[in-house]
Amino acid sequence: MIRPKILQFDDGDGRSAGWLLLLLILYSLPLDTIAKEPISKDLPAAAVLNPAAELWRDVRQRDQPTTGSTQVRGVDSGVLINAYGDQWRKFRMQQLIPVGGYALMGIVIALAVFYLMRGKVPIEGSESDKKLPRYSTYERMIHWFMASIFLFLAITGLILLFGRPVLIPMLGKEAFSILASACKEGHNLIGPLFLFALILVFSQFVRRNIYQKGDLNWLLKGGGIVGKKHVSSNFFNMGEKTMFWMLVFVGAVIVISGLVLVFPLFGQGREWMELAHVGHAIGALLMIGVIIGHIYIGTIGMQGAIEGMKTGYCDLNWAKEHHDLWAGRAEERGEALSNEEVAQLTHNHPLPSSLGVRTQEAGK
Amino acid sequence: MIGQFIDGPLWTFSLTVFLIGVVWRIAAILMAGKRPDLATPKGSAGAGALRAVFSRFLPERTVTTQGRLPLIAGYLFHLGLFALLFFAQPHIDFIAEKITGLSWPAMPHWAFIVAAEFAFAGLILLWLHRILHPVTRLLSDLDDHIGAVLVFLVMLTGCLALAQAFEPLRLIHLLSAELLLIYFPFSKLMHAFTFVMSRSYTGATMGRKGVNA
Amino acid sequence: MARMKFYCDPERCIECNACVTACKNENEVPWGVNRRRVVTINDGEEGERSLSVACMHCSDAPCATVCPVDCFYTTQDGVVLHDKDICIGCGYCFYACPFGAPQFPEDGAFATRGKMDKCTFCAGGPEADNSSDEQRKYGSNRLAEGKLPLCAEMCSTKALLAGDADTIADIYRKRIINRSASVMARGVSYRDASFRAPYSAAGKSSAKE
Repeated sequence: MIRPKILQFDDGDGRSAGWLLLLLILYSLPLDTIAKEPISKDLPAAAVLNPAAELWRDVRQRDQPTTGSTQVRGVDSGVLINAYGDQWRKFRMQQLIPVGGYALMGIVIALAVFYLMRGKVPIEGSESDKKLPRYSTYERMIHWFMASIFLFLAITGLILLFGRPVLIPMLGKEAFSILASACKEGHNLIGPLFLFALILVFSQFVRRNIYQKGDLNWLLKGGGIVGKKHVSSNFFNMGEKTMFWMLVFVGAVIVISGLVLVFPLFGQGREWMELAHVGHAIGALLMIGVIIGHIYIGTIGMQGAIEGMKTGYCDLNWAKEHHDLWAGRAEERGEALSNEEVAQLTHNHPLPSSLGVRTQEAGK
Repeated sequence: MIGQFIDGPLWTFSLTVFLIGVVWRIAAILMAGKRPDLATPKGSAGAGALRAVFSRFLPERTVTTQGRLPLIAGYLFHLGLFALLFFAQPHIDFIAEKITGLSWPAMPHWAFIVAAEFAFAGLILLWLHRILHPVTRLLSDLDDHIGAVLVFLVMLTGCLALAQAFEPLRLIHLLSAELLLIYFPFSKLMHAFTFVMSRSYTGATMGRKGVNA
Repeated sequence: MARMKFYCDPERCIECNACVTACKNENEVPWGVNRRRVVTINDGEEGERSLSVACMHCSDAPCATVCPVDCFYTTQDGVVLHDKDICIGCGYCFYACPFGAPQFPEDGAFATRGKMDKCTFCAGGPEADNSSDEQRKYGSNRLAEGKLPLCAEMCSTKALLAGDADTIADIYRKRIINRSASVMARGVSYRDASFRAPYSAAGKSSAKE
């Protein structure tokens, strides 16, 4: 008799809070049997429900917003239950940490396998006796500025992300806690500098990174990775350009989400923080993967590749093989210098004024 | 154990070395004296010195037209380091507790961090400029690099200890600061004090000659 | 082994905030930290209900799962506690907790939060019971004295219950049955009780002639 009545009421009036009513319904179902029987001790333990769990399940499942008012001042303090927290936990613990970890390990292993197969890509014509100015001092400065900041942020971030499964078993909780605190504070403080570095790098290199006609061809030929032949390219090749634009766009996502996380001052609640964390983590892991490849080419992957960023000058043969369009133009302009001249410019003697102008303009 | 050593005797030792060293270096410069200038003064040496000490805080025009980033980085680093060294709450507390017993108003925490960011950006860029630019690399000796690395270490360990909750991190910061203090008087880092003398010497010489320089 | 739980009965809670005050006083939490709060939904409207919320001492606590330094632990009584000497104040527990229980003493720029603070079920922390260190960092340890959390102990309507989950479930069930019985007796739903038909009070007065 009772059940239909309550249900009917519920159907007729869905406007006001009915979640306790739901509870009632739940308990009115086996009411006849429970009411007759002595309570609790005689019942099997499994039948004892946690009333708090019941209550909160109902809070969570009802249609109405779970936000109320409270005397406690603070962001989100009126929110009764934040269901996204659980989704965020699942993302972090079941997807981000295992998948991200294996993905990074996969990249390293793939590069190792590639290195074993291909070895160091040599300059085919071997080193020539001439060099081309490739990057100015300013360009190298901002590159290494960004590189040092990126490395610091990547290492501290990876320690915070993978520290619990990887480092705690090795260091113990106390020692890792000290390391993690250092990483957290360092990450938070240095983080905003990445924005500064990104702006400097973007404004200096953007013009040479606009996609051009030959780039599609470079992509179709796999950038010369698949075959043995070099693919023609301008100052930057298609891969470098793509890395640049990833750095710009993914970097922007990382920076913006990072600022959301590091300045909890603008009333952004937990949901924004969770979202920002997801974007930050995915973007950062993506960039770390790309940069591992970048570092691979610069260090052990290719002969002569790092020279331009180290000294400002690259080998003429290397330039002709990897950036032939630019190298051709630069040589026509008479920018090629002999190794002795370059040695003079970079090491032994102060800059002669005529050459000094040229180094400042190098790579433009 | 080692913590007590860093906190106590080593701190006293390094502060003593620093103070005696700085006084000794400055005294050596002052006692070196000046050659007598017999020419009739055409202007005031004192005014020239005073002018030079302050006017040199602004860059010379030829410098501003060359590399702008190193110039900006120089200001970022020096102003940032000055602000965070003397106006950060933890440093003021430390100075009050350990040295002077005096304290003064501190910057808000966010300003302290911003100053630290400026200092970091400036120092990294300047050091990169030092090793990447052919001329500055040629001019730099080991002392420059040790000084830069020590200052960077002090700043980095300070940044890592920002939570102010873990004793080992504070001790590492303190240890690096002590190493810097010991190294300071015997290096080019002394320019933090001697810039006054070099500027005023030039200023006085020129002022006496009636030259505004 | 007891499994400690909180339960707040929204039919009884009158939003007096005494549990909040009691908690602050007992544990001497810093300003800005609220280990417990009372949330009212539909405030001033039909169907208004209040709930006192704090850490629910979850059996599978999300905060403990996501903590990057693994500073959480569950006591034998089923109370979820954390070690402030290990906590780095990253705020991940705050993101993961559905109830908004983790609190931070600061919320400045550059994510300076300080060490996390939350309801301890008046069970202190990892330090020795009722030591001065424990008192300073975590507040009171009433459980060690055989007492239950003060918020629930002094709740005037006994809306907020704390204790062994089994016992609380019994009390809860008795209440539900009583309420259902009253529904049966009156023929109106409990929820509608305030609008029930008037007793025949016509002509009655408290004043005697």
